[in-house]
Parts: sequence; C-alpha cells; structure tokens
Amino acid sequence: MFTRFICVLLSVLLPGFSIAQAISVQDSNGDFTLERPPGRVVVLELSFVDALAAAGVSPIGVADDNDPKRILPAVRDHLKPWQSVGTRAQPALETIAALKPDLIIADSARHAGIYRQLSSIAPTLMLKSRNETYEQDLQSAAVIGKVLGKNTEMQQRLALHRQRIQQFASQLPKGLKVVFGTSREQQFNLHSRGSYTGSVLTALGMAVSAPINQAALSSISLEQLLAINPDWLIVAHYRPQSIVRDWQQDPLWQMLTAAQNNQVAVVDSNSWARMRGIFAAEHIASDLVAILYHRPVPPAQ
Amino acid sequence: MMSGRPLIAWGGPLALLAGIFWLSLFSWSPVPIGSWQAISALLPGKVSVLSQALVLNLRLPRSLVAILLGASLAVAGCLLQTLTRNPLASPSLLGINAGASLAMVVTSAFDPSWVAGYSIALLAAMGGGLSWGVVMLLGRGWDTAGDRSRLILGGVAVSALCAALTRATLLLAEDHAWGIFHWLAGGIAHVRWREFWQLLPFSILLLPLAWLFASRLNLLQLSDDSARTLGIRLGQLRLLVNLVVVLLVGSCVSVAGPVAFLGLLVPHMARAWIGNDLRLMLPIGMLFGAVLMLLADLLARAVAFPAELPAGAMLALIGAPCFIWLVRRRT
Amino acid sequence: MKKPALTLAILLMLVALVLLLSVRYGSETLSFADLHRALQPADSHYFALVEYRLPRILLALLVGAALALSGVLVQGVIGNPLASPEILGVNHAAGLMSIGALMLFPGLSVMWLPLLAFIGALLAFALLRLAAGNSAPLRLALLGIALTALYASITDYLMLSHPLEINQALMWLTGSLWGRGWAFVYVALPWLLLLLPLSLLLCRPLDLLALGEEQATTLGINVRHAQQLILLLALALAAISVALCGPLSFIGLLAPHLTRRLVGGRHHWLIPGAMLIGALLLLLADLLARTLHPPLELPAGVLTAIIGAPYFFWLLMRTR
Repeated sequence: MFTRFICVLLSVLLPGFSIAQAISVQDSNGDFTLERPPGRVVVLELSFVDALAAAGVSPIGVADDNDPKRILPAVRDHLKPWQSVGTRAQPALETIAALKPDLIIADSARHAGIYRQLSSIAPTLMLKSRNETYEQDLQSAAVIGKVLGKNTEMQQRLALHRQRIQQFASQLPKGLKVVFGTSREQQFNLHSRGSYTGSVLTALGMAVSAPINQAALSSISLEQLLAINPDWLIVAHYRPQSIVRDWQQDPLWQMLTAAQNNQVAVVDSNSWARMRGIFAAEHIASDLVAILYHRPVPPAQ
Repeated sequence: MMSGRPLIAWGGPLALLAGIFWLSLFSWSPVPIGSWQAISALLPGKVSVLSQALVLNLRLPRSLVAILLGASLAVAGCLLQTLTRNPLASPSLLGINAGASLAMVVTSAFDPSWVAGYSIALLAAMGGGLSWGVVMLLGRGWDTAGDRSRLILGGVAVSALCAALTRATLLLAEDHAWGIFHWLAGGIAHVRWREFWQLLPFSILLLPLAWLFASRLNLLQLSDDSARTLGIRLGQLRLLVNLVVVLLVGSCVSVAGPVAFLGLLVPHMARAWIGNDLRLMLPIGMLFGAVLMLLADLLARAVAFPAELPAGAMLALIGAPCFIWLVRRRT
Repeated sequence: MKKPALTLAILLMLVALVLLLSVRYGSETLSFADLHRALQPADSHYFALVEYRLPRILLALLVGAALALSGVLVQGVIGNPLASPEILGVNHAAGLMSIGALMLFPGLSVMWLPLLAFIGALLAFALLRLAAGNSAPLRLALLGIALTALYASITDYLMLSHPLEINQALMWLTGSLWGRGWAFVYVALPWLLLLLPLSLLLCRPLDLLALGEEQATTLGINVRHAQQLILLLALALAAISVALCGPLSFIGLLAPHLTRRLVGGRHHWLIPGAMLIGALLLLLADLLARTLHPPLELPAGVLTAIIGAPYFFWLLMRTR
C-alpha cells in the first residue's frame, strides 16, 4: 500500500521534475522551448558572447569573424577557448554541425535566411543583435540567461551592472552634448541615440543627437558636424587613414567648440562600436569617465 | 538650334551657370549661410564668420571641382562619340569608368596611402585606358562601318567584368563595403582645395587641347576616307584623342569616383543646342556639363537634407530615363 | 573540329568528376568511407553531406545549365556573341525588387526574396516589351541595357539612402549558393525539368534564325513570333536562376561562347553542350568558393567573374 502510494507519488512528481527542467522563453520567432539546459552552445554574434560570459557559460563555437581579438579582454577572461565558426555574416555551417551543439543562438535579422538549416543542426534561438539598443541588449541577455538555465546568476549580474552604471553616471556631468562616431577613409558615421553606443551614452546622462532621417547611424559631413557643434567629440578610427584625421588638418576644424577646448578624444573602435553587451557597456562607461576627467584612456589589449 | 542667335546661345548657358554656381555656394547647408554672405566671402577681406569660412573652404572648391568635372566629362563624351561615330558612346558605357575604378580599388586595397595625389590620377587613367582598349578590341570599335551595338555590348561586358572584379577585391581585401560603395557611386562631397589643385592641371591642359583639334575632328565625323583625302593623319589623330579622353576620365575618376551619364547626355544636348560643329559643340558642352554637375550636386544635398547623397547617384537617377529616351529616338 | 558527340561525352565526364570533387571537398575533406556512412542521419557528417553539400551541388547543376541555356537563346535571337541574359535587365530588376522590399519593409523575412526577385524579373520583361514594342533585336538589346542602367541607378539610390541594410543587400546582390538548402532545390526542380527539355524543341527555329532574318522568313518561320517566344523562355530561365541564387554573371555570356568553339553552331549540339559547360562552370566556381580559404566562403558570383576574366583575354588574343 505504502509502496504503491510512493510509486503513484513518484509517477506524478517525476514528470513534474523533467518539465521543471524544460526551459521556455520568448525569442523573435515566438515561443522557444528546450528540454534541458544546454551543455554545448554555439553563438553567431559577439553580443551573445558577452551575455554568455556574464552568465558564466563558455561557448564551444563563436562566429568571431576569424579574429578572436575582437572580443573584449574582459569577456575573454571569463571564457575557455572556443572554435571559430567563421564570419558573422556567413558562418560555416559544416563547422557548426561538426561541433554537435545543443543550442545555437543567432541574430534574427542576419541569420533569418539560414534558420531552417541551423534548426536542423540544433535548436536555434533567434534574438535581435545587430542594430539593437542598450535596453534591448539587456533584455536579450536576460533571455539568454534563462535559456542557459542560469537565470539567477544572470539576474544578479544584471543588478550588479545597473549599480555600476549608476555609479559611473553619478560621476559624470549631466546633459553634456557628446558626439560619438566611427571614422573610416571616406566617411564619418555618427552614432545617434538609436544606436547601441548612443543609447549607452544616453543612459549615462549624456545628450546624444537624435537619429537623422530615422537612421540610427548616419554618415555626416564636416558641415553637419559644425552645425551640431558638440561639447565633446569622441572618435573611433577604423583605419589608420581616416577622414577625421584629414578634417583635423582643415582650417575649419578650429571652428569646432570641441577642438577649441581640446575636448576631442580617441577611443578603441572594437570596444566602443563593435562589441555590445554588459561588459562592453561597462567598458564604455569607465572610458567615458576617464575621458571627461582628462585622464588617459587605458588601451585595449 | 541656336547657331543663329549667339547672344542667347552663349549668354543663356553662361547665365545659368553663374546662377547655379551662386546657388551652390550657400544652399542647403547644415550651417545656415546667407545668400549675400556667399558673395561677400569671395571678396577680399578678413573672414571672421563660420559661414564665410565654410564658403571659402568647403563650398567654393566643391563647386569649382564640379565645374571642372562636368566640363571634362562632357568633352570626353563628345570626343568618344566623334571617334567611334556612335551616338551611344560614353566613358561609362565603354568601360573606362569601370576600369579606372578597378585600378583605384585594387591599389587602395593594397596600400591605402596611395589614394591621393597625381600618381593615383595617372593610375586610374591607366586602368581606364586598359579596359577601354579591351572594349575597343572586343567590340571592333575601329570598324565604324560595322555593327554599332557591338561596341556597346562589348563595353557592357567589360564593365560588368570590372565591376565583378572590383567586388571581388573588396571582399578579399577588407570589409570596406559601405565606404567603397559610396565612393563607387561617384560624388564630390569630400572635395577640398587639394582635390581642386589635383584636377586643375589636367583640365587646363587637356580641354584647350581638345578644342584645338576640333576642326580636324569635324572631318572625322564624315568618314575615314574623306578625312584621309583631306590630309589628316588618322592614326596619329585617333591616338592623341584617345589619350586625351583617357587622361580626362582618369583624372576625374581619381577625384570624384566614376560619374556616369554626363559623357553620354551632354554631347546630345550640345548638338541639339548649337549644331554639329565641334568647335562650337565642345565649349557649349563644357558649359552644359558644368551646369548639370552643379545641379546634380545641389539635388544630392537637397533630397535627404541634412544628410547627403552622392551626386553620382542623382545623376544616374536623372540620366537613366534620358538614356532610355535617347535609345528609343536614335535607333 | 572534333566530333560533337565526343566533346559532349567528355564534358559529361568532367561534370561527373567535378561533382565528385564537390562532394568530397569543402571546409573539411570527407573520404569515401566517410561519404558512405554520412548518408545515415545519425552520422556526424550527415549534415555536411546531405543538408549542406548535396542541395548546393544539385542547385549548381540546375542553375548553371539554366543560365547557359538562357545565354544560348539570347545570343540566338540578338545574333551577337557578346549578348547575354543580363542585358534583358533580369538581374538588375530582380535585384531592385528584392533590395527595394528589404529597404522599404525592414521587417520582411528573407524567405520572400526569391519570389520578389522572380516578380521583378517578369516586370523587367514586361517593361522591355513596352518600351521596345515590336522592334529589331539589336534595338531590344540596347533598350535592355538602358533599362538595366535605370534599375541599377534606383537600386544604388535605395542602398545609399538606407546604409544600415547595405551589408545584407550586398551579400544578396553578389550571387552565391551559400545557405541554399533542399527547399530551393524543390522549387527549382519542377520548373527547370520542364523548361530545359522544352528548349530542345527550339533547335530548328534557332538554327534558322542564325541564317539571318530574310533567309529564315523564306524558309517558313514567323521570325518575330519565334524571337518573342525564345526570349520569353530565356527570360523565364534567367528569372528562376536569379530568384534562387541571386545575380550570377558571366555564365550566360561565357558558356555559349565556349561551347560554340567546341561543338560549332548547330543548336542540337550547342544546347546540351552549353548546359553542360554552364553546370560545370558554376559547380567549379562553387567548389573553389568553398575550398579556397576555409572556413571563409567567397560568393560564387565573384568566382565566375574571376574565371571569366582570363577567358575574356584569351578571346581577345584570338580576335586579333
């Protein structure tokens, strides 16, 4: 009698345990469910690597554009070595399959075309990464934490992150007009409020330009920069031969308030423009504090 | 046809040019520039205000380069159409633009510091000359009695080839995608005094040279035999004119990227306005070319204000329907 | 000139050879034992072979043949060996349609692109017919080039005014077989299995057209009718190819050219020969694309151009 009772109890509870193990989240396609927390994870965007590091999980494969150095040192320190699966735009599907992952996390815009093929390799979580804002990235990080079965760890890390950002923001003067842009040979791209870096700077209390023609990033000319005339100009050079360096030789450059007050700073393009995520935002914040207090910005390794 | 009324024939385009030039100095600027400030900046005197500095350092060189560019490409188009006796010949259709762009992209992929100065203009000219030579050989451009469209088809094929190789270079070299794509559309937004001085020697030497040959080129419009009997050394003339065309186009591409449709449309406009005599057609072509280029640059600023589009893209949007109309009329 | 039948047999063997190489090589090399085992779903190489390489190879065969055939038909009508399906405006119109949709509706799923490309290609033909009316083929060709310039300029304008999407757009615009799975093959198969044999019925009209318009009329075919039909078929083939793989250039130009040198101008040899060479070219381009620099993959469209360039210069030498 008692044993039968135990059997019945177990037969009711055991499925409950396995259901409790199953994870259900919302991604860009709707509902996404995993039977059990994944052991082997492949990620196809750099912001996802950041989220995994925050949750304390190491991916076995990353689409790192064949350059592991692109990932922030702070993030790399948390991770074991991984296998490169090619570029973010065109990940090598055969390499991904050979790694036998339990979960693939892909960008909902870039990888929509290969979703079917990715799903045939492993369950694929589609989240927005490219063109995301700071707040959207934090939401994605929370989803990733949940899907990895590390919900509590991720929530703790997010709380710590918000605290740190608050601390940084309190050290900074409010409402400063800041322009951040990336400079290549032929063009200077302004990162407006709608871009990732722009939204991080806004969260820190800076006044960042609104999007021009509804584009989060836009290429602006020297005339437009002169019209905006920010208090601080922060530039990330993607190339040694860059247009902002040419502009600095131009006599019109001296008409910029920022140039006159020596408030032009150069930052690392990788950590400010390419990487997105919890670690990246904290890096940007600490760099910004250093810049605004005229301290040298520590170089990225 | 305006050949009988020289005042309107010449005064009209000149006035138009002056008007658009003045407009280009102050219109659609993110930093407001007054229409009088545009003029006063040009007069001698101290430049104190931002808007005047903008006019002197940004707007003026940009407009001047637009004038030189328009004139050079228009003349190149006139020469090509005369040389090949083909009303559809132009630097872009005959692959010169594509070849010059390919040369520039390949050199910039290997060593970006080369992308400036006279050496790059000559390199672009060489690239353009090479692709153009291929087109002429493939399309039997010398054989003007034969099938005219063979030349155009050859040009399209070679342009497509150069474009594909350009894209291949971009993919293999680095991820410049947006930047080079922007440049490939052709535009003068980045132009300063340096680019003006880079372009000026070529225009100053070659445009008058072309005009000096105008009377001999008039005879070339008839037929090879008539020209020969009148004592013209065809081979030499052709070589010289080809050289002039390739240098003009190369210098323009090195400054502004490949700009299309000017060389195609302006000769027809000039011919309709003033007739077939190259001695008159070339100068009018220069005026019309300058006006068209300035106009395209103006529109490029206006359409997405305060952002800017490349002027070449605007020219293409205007020029493509005109091209269609031209083909329908002329064939 | 060699016997055409022999040449075709050699081409067939070459295709089989490259097919075998394509199956074996890629970002990792599979031995014959691996290949045999990989047909089982549970095997580790199953994805690489069955889901990744096989559909691509099949698609390369089909699309390469379709493009080459389209080229033969266009050259047969226009009567000029430098003509190709690109001048019909198909590639650029398809590009415009899909890029336009991508830019104006950013949330649009990528799965719609093939359909939009196809519609774009059809609209291009309609526009060309509208503009050209019932004109001679050469005029048609020139109008096609002019319209192509128009589509290209509008596409450039759209891309320049929406810079965020440009990388995705450029990816698609280059023409490649990456990420094409069985779904694409299932779409291609019925159409192409229908159209490819249908073209063999056109051998005789094409041979007659090659003799010149007057000759052809006296020999009893309605020239304009035949030209319209052939162009329509060429368009359908090019449209399907562009819809599936993006704009792949040069195959439509090179394959007929090369085949003509090998087997002569009789279409009942030219058509199968061109299809084999087209398939061979695209298969080779895709193989090189996957194996030149693994795990990086180049788009096949770029490689067709790189293969095409030396051929162009060789052609040049011969013309002297």
